[in-house]
Amino acid sequence: MLLGLGLTISAVAQTTLRGQVVDAGTGAPITGAKVLLSNQNIATTTNAAGEFQLLYLEATDEEVIVEADGYVGTIELVLLEENRTLDMPAIRLQQDIAKQTQDEILLNLTEEEMNDDEGRSQAQASASSATTDVFNSTTSFAWSTARYRNRGYASAGSETYYIEGLNFNSAERGQFNYSAMGGLNDASRYKDVLNPMEATSFTFGDLGQSTNYMMGASRYAQGWKVGVAGTNRNYKARINATYASGVLPNGWSFIGQLAYRFSPYVDNKGIIGEGIKYYSLGYFFSAEKQWQNGNRLRLLTFGAPTERGQNAAVTQEVYDLTGSINYNPYWGYQNGKVRNSRIVKSFDPTVIAAYDLNIDEWQKIKFALGYHYSWYSNSALNYFNAPDPRPDYYRNLPSAMWDGQIGNLYYETSVDQLYRADGSAYGYGLFIGEDMNGNAMGTAFPGADGNLVGPSVNAEQYNTLVRLWQNRDNKTTQIDWNNLYAANYANNANNPNGAARYFIERRHNDIQEAMASVNYQNTKYDHLRMTLGLEGKFSQGIHYKTVDDLLGANQWIDIDAFADRDIKELATNSGFTQADIANIRKNDIRDGYDNVIKTTDRRFGYDYRINMGNMKAWFQNEWTFHEVDLFYALQLNFNSMQRTSNMYNGRAWYLTTLAQLNDAKYGTDTYWQYLGHKALNDLANGVNTAPGNLLVGEAHYFLDPAFKLGLTYKINGRNRLKLNALAETRAPYARDAYVSQRVHDRVVNTIYTHDNAKSLKDFYAASEKVASADLTYEFNYPIVRGRVTGFFTQTWNGTELNGYYDDEARTFVNQAMTGIDKRYMGIEAALSVKLGTYFTLTGAASVGDYRYTSNATAITSAENGMPMTQDQATQDLIFETVDKVLLKGVRLSTGPQANASLKLSFFHPKMWFADVTVSYHDWNYLSVAPSRRMQGLYTGHRLDGTAVNGWFGDEYANAMATTDDLPLVQPTMDADGNVNWQNAQLDQNGMPVLQYPYSIMTMQENLAATNPLNRFLIDASVGKLIYLPNRQQLSINLSVTNLTNNTHFKTGGYQQARLPRAVRQGEKDYHNSVITANAWKYPSKYYYAWGVNFFLSVTYKF
Amino acid sequence: MKTIKNPLYFVLSTLVLLSLSSCEPKALTEDDVFVQETELDALLADENPEGYDIYTLNDFLDRYMTEKGNFWSDTSQYRERATNGNGFYLFSVDTLPTYGRGIYIRGRITTDDYEGNFYKSMVIQQIVGGKQQNLRISVDLGSSHGMYQLGQEIIIRCNGLSVGRYSNQPQLCVPSYNNNIYAMNASQKVGWAPGRIPGSVFRRNTKMIGLPDRSKLQYDTLSLGQLFTEIPRKPSIDATGMDQVRKLDGRLVVLKNVSFSGKYQDGNNIVNCVVGHPDSVGGANVFAPSTQNIGYPQGRLLCDIMDANPTTSSTTIMCSNSEYAKFAYFYLPGANKTGITGCRDYEGTVTGILGWYQDKASDLTASGLDGYEWSVTPRGIGITEFGIKDVVMYYHGDTSDPWTPKEYDPNDK
Repeated sequence: MLLGLGLTISAVAQTTLRGQVVDAGTGAPITGAKVLLSNQNIATTTNAAGEFQLLYLEATDEEVIVEADGYVGTIELVLLEENRTLDMPAIRLQQDIAKQTQDEILLNLTEEEMNDDEGRSQAQASASSATTDVFNSTTSFAWSTARYRNRGYASAGSETYYIEGLNFNSAERGQFNYSAMGGLNDASRYKDVLNPMEATSFTFGDLGQSTNYMMGASRYAQGWKVGVAGTNRNYKARINATYASGVLPNGWSFIGQLAYRFSPYVDNKGIIGEGIKYYSLGYFFSAEKQWQNGNRLRLLTFGAPTERGQNAAVTQEVYDLTGSINYNPYWGYQNGKVRNSRIVKSFDPTVIAAYDLNIDEWQKIKFALGYHYSWYSNSALNYFNAPDPRPDYYRNLPSAMWDGQIGNLYYETSVDQLYRADGSAYGYGLFIGEDMNGNAMGTAFPGADGNLVGPSVNAEQYNTLVRLWQNRDNKTTQIDWNNLYAANYANNANNPNGAARYFIERRHNDIQEAMASVNYQNTKYDHLRMTLGLEGKFSQGIHYKTVDDLLGANQWIDIDAFADRDIKELATNSGFTQADIANIRKNDIRDGYDNVIKTTDRRFGYDYRINMGNMKAWFQNEWTFHEVDLFYALQLNFNSMQRTSNMYNGRAWYLTTLAQLNDAKYGTDTYWQYLGHKALNDLANGVNTAPGNLLVGEAHYFLDPAFKLGLTYKINGRNRLKLNALAETRAPYARDAYVSQRVHDRVVNTIYTHDNAKSLKDFYAASEKVASADLTYEFNYPIVRGRVTGFFTQTWNGTELNGYYDDEARTFVNQAMTGIDKRYMGIEAALSVKLGTYFTLTGAASVGDYRYTSNATAITSAENGMPMTQDQATQDLIFETVDKVLLKGVRLSTGPQANASLKLSFFHPKMWFADVTVSYHDWNYLSVAPSRRMQGLYTGHRLDGTAVNGWFGDEYANAMATTDDLPLVQPTMDADGNVNWQNAQLDQNGMPVLQYPYSIMTMQENLAATNPLNRFLIDASVGKLIYLPNRQQLSINLSVTNLTNNTHFKTGGYQQARLPRAVRQGEKDYHNSVITANAWKYPSKYYYAWGVNFFLSVTYKF
Repeated sequence: MKTIKNPLYFVLSTLVLLSLSSCEPKALTEDDVFVQETELDALLADENPEGYDIYTLNDFLDRYMTEKGNFWSDTSQYRERATNGNGFYLFSVDTLPTYGRGIYIRGRITTDDYEGNFYKSMVIQQIVGGKQQNLRISVDLGSSHGMYQLGQEIIIRCNGLSVGRYSNQPQLCVPSYNNNIYAMNASQKVGWAPGRIPGSVFRRNTKMIGLPDRSKLQYDTLSLGQLFTEIPRKPSIDATGMDQVRKLDGRLVVLKNVSFSGKYQDGNNIVNCVVGHPDSVGGANVFAPSTQNIGYPQGRLLCDIMDANPTTSSTTIMCSNSEYAKFAYFYLPGANKTGITGCRDYEGTVTGILGWYQDKASDLTASGLDGYEWSVTPRGIGITEFGIKDVVMYYHGDTSDPWTPKEYDPNDK
């Protein structure tokens, strides 16, 4: 059998090790198991027969570490003798059914968090872990509930995901789409996971982990596997079936898997997944042909058409009122049945062909070709000239009654601090307690929600609303579908040709990608492994909207609601006729575009594509010596992006026309903020705008180098030191590059600087720079193993795009931030100790400090093309404002930064498994809203010199004062926009300390529970594997997460961008709003970890 | 082969079975979402085990709206500041019983906020004995008329709500503390007053009866002369007079044979509108120049076409508009960049909601009445596709030469 490896081992005398890895229960060979010689750092994987062979070894004592996905690893001691071949007895691995279940849970968890295409979602857990690494294998599942992110890196731009050597990170967003593999636990079973910056064989890698899924059919043992699982998560059950042929005599092997996960609509309020339905059918087919010479061909396809409901983060008030962390505002009853307004539909059919060619004994070359089309869309309620249908809209909550009833600390005369019965100050602000004449109005009352409410709030109405929420009144706390239909039917009667008042739109964010890669490896030279990689990828992001359901309306009329509202202001702009103004609100102004949408197949709103090209060339040399290993790698990364549009947006036309009109006045490209220049896809340059013609935007090209190296010093066979380092530049992702890609072609300014580069500095103006290093000490003894790693990463000049409703401009704005620097540093450590025969104790900890190290520069513009403000001297309209965002010192919101856990595992040779893990998480920070940290809010003037209406020091002279009540001296700003805060006291982030309650709007909240006990999470699992005759087996596993039902554990959250502004009567201009004292008007929204939840699976193999 | 087939059959048949359950609920029909007149009694009986009463709007006011209101026992909060000292008050709030028999009112919506002249308020109309009864409803729902549309008949359960007067205008409301210290006559207004019913409470308490039917709205068509023979231009300051104006407030009228005079009220004087940017010139010759966000309605004097010299003493009425209306900066009919000389050339009708609004307590004296407490508020001028065209004017009455709305343009120099 070993001869089948195709190698001659007798021709030359050499030191050789060979053996076979098999399943301990069934004796079936295990394909793809990793076999590593610890001292010599030489590794291989087993073939389809479970066999391995290592040649040209040094004669010495060795530890053979054997690990395989889904199995418990083992370490065997051997003595290698000079020029002898050692045949090891069969290495028997026990199945790790607990790990298999955890991998499946993790995959599904990560998929479900890929919630949105435009809004917010919490940090994703990483769905893959390096099984060989004690830290990652311990933390990847245990800390996933807390949304721990390895080293604080966001998924996009740090982790790289490959399938059979092809890059599957989205070129547009940088993330991997887990839904492509939804439920396909077998398809995703075999993978290579490399720690950050380590040498990898399939890609150059990036800051974070690199994962390569291997789906060749020969990896799977012959036979059937069917399973069922029940859970109380977003889906309730899963059934799956897999059949693998094993390697047939003709060298072919096949595998197919079907997995179906489902949950009907759940209408029980307050339970996990309320208002959610879930249907997903995953398929995976793979065929593989192996030749005697070791060449292999793999053909595979997979996908998982999925339809699932979504839920949303809500404010703490809503959680408290409903008494549930599972409240979901997206659903309501229709005809007595649950209906969710947010339904994701996704399907990522993927095909891959890969061919491994063994050129000779030392040279291998791998080819891979792939294509996938990702349909991804989600639905959302839209409305026009009708009340906001969201049940948790802030005006629908009891706290809306506070608005206007909270006094200003230094301005109002009628201010009174509220106190509880015990004399402590009440945290919810300064309700008005006196009338204009200073007469006491009465006493505060305890609201039905337990809050102490001021005497200027109507107790009966407040309590009425509270009770409606507490009782989960259907018309109050859920979407009132009846009223939405009624509004449309009424509209049909009144305006048969009018636009729907409510309808459900579907926002499509598809992407198609074609990929190719070539990977060449050469081990001909002693001590050296050379790898050369070429990767090419063409991606096209496809974005458009369709109507999902008109909810009884006759049609939707496709115009921009915000532009429609602001039409009055447009008229005051020079040179535009009424016909022009009518055009501006249209989303496609070309003749022939019918903006009356009656069917679900018509595209409306926007219809554009982003074409992205990517070419990577990289090489890597890995040197292995007795005491030292060394690698270095270099990569050149070429990227391009270009937007095309099928619609000629009226606002794009408007902005470009304005730019042309004003060119003579200001000079081309000079005054961005006045002109909104380059707003359009080069229409000004004579692009054919006739109906049917694709409007082609400007192309942008980037070339980014990257370099990494690593050094391993082997102190002895059991202890080693590793140093890895990386330096690179990175082009911005398309999602962050375009200021308002739904409307026009304008990119962030740094890209224009890049496009017109006159120096190397200009050329890299748009690229993010990255430098990173880590130092690891790892040890590996039969009883104890572990590692300690310190890491430091600095990034410079990042780009991010935000969109939000701006209460000063009173419209939806886009905000492009550039010049963002971030630092990630910390220590991660893990230790695993075997306690006798049955128990293993594993501890892991990670303490980090991940934060912004610079302020950012933000350019803000209205999506509807309206001016943001006006130059006070020239009266010129200003379409883009430039300001600093005071981010320096703010912590990154990428999961908890302090984590620790202790895990006790039990394994009995009669195949009983159990473990219990206690985890502690802290320093998890709220995502801050840049809109609340704009410099102009603190100084009255933006970086570009324009005035801010209603800044903190404007309304209340002492709003920004020191805590010892020194009078405020107005901050001054130099020509570079640097501010001298003078007497202001700064907090630890360098932010001016504002008087209560304004500090609430700027401080960064730690999401860790107040009670330290609630920062702990406990998980447990128990399983049994039963071997039956004829290699049949039955496995049962129960995994319980958050065993103590901790419902106080926030996993993430974000500040709402809206500021509590109000237009003070008597002001000259409605833009002259002031920031009110009601800092709780738009409070933060949070995500909570689910309470106790289980996953019970039963699998039968035969 | 048999082994392969069995699990496959199992999997596939399960999939087919489960896929069937993934459909959305069936669409709602008109019958599902509107209450039909025939089923109303049963619905209300079901909702009110202790029985219920449906009041006419006037009976409702008579029964529940008191002069002082019952909400706040401490008169310092608002009453003494907003009274004429003779027992009449501009502001009142009477709370209605939360429990017990159901208290209902019903009516058909006469307002529309699409062109922005009504904000978070609506008026319902009930025809009793061939005559209109009307009541304002204050609701905290932005764009409320998108849901509760013109011509829609609604029935409202009033238990737990309030009825009161704001600046002497009766309305269905809830008590709310008005903290607007910047308002005109703030010293009389700050304090407890009628406030907006929370949107979710209103939605929960309101049923829509059938589809909206605009044809069932009653418009009283009158010349200004006829109007002021029916209603007192300067009512008596007594219980009779107050009751009269409070119940005529909200009436839907079509004022015929009228022109915009090109004048507006400045203090107690009637003066000509001028040319200027509506952002900064309060007397600009448009429907509603900016009030610098104080927000009070802007009056533009309507007169009878036969009135050669409209003054405070002739038969005139204010056309009341909001500076937030979409047509606020549109020229008055006949006005243009040169001024107001063309205003009287345009004659026709103005439709709208009749209003009686008193901003300060001194208006509650005979000497305080200036004759312009009455106003008519159009719902739109038809500048949007589905806006209501309530101002219909023709050049010298020639129906072939209608007035076309034109927005103020700063380039009109």
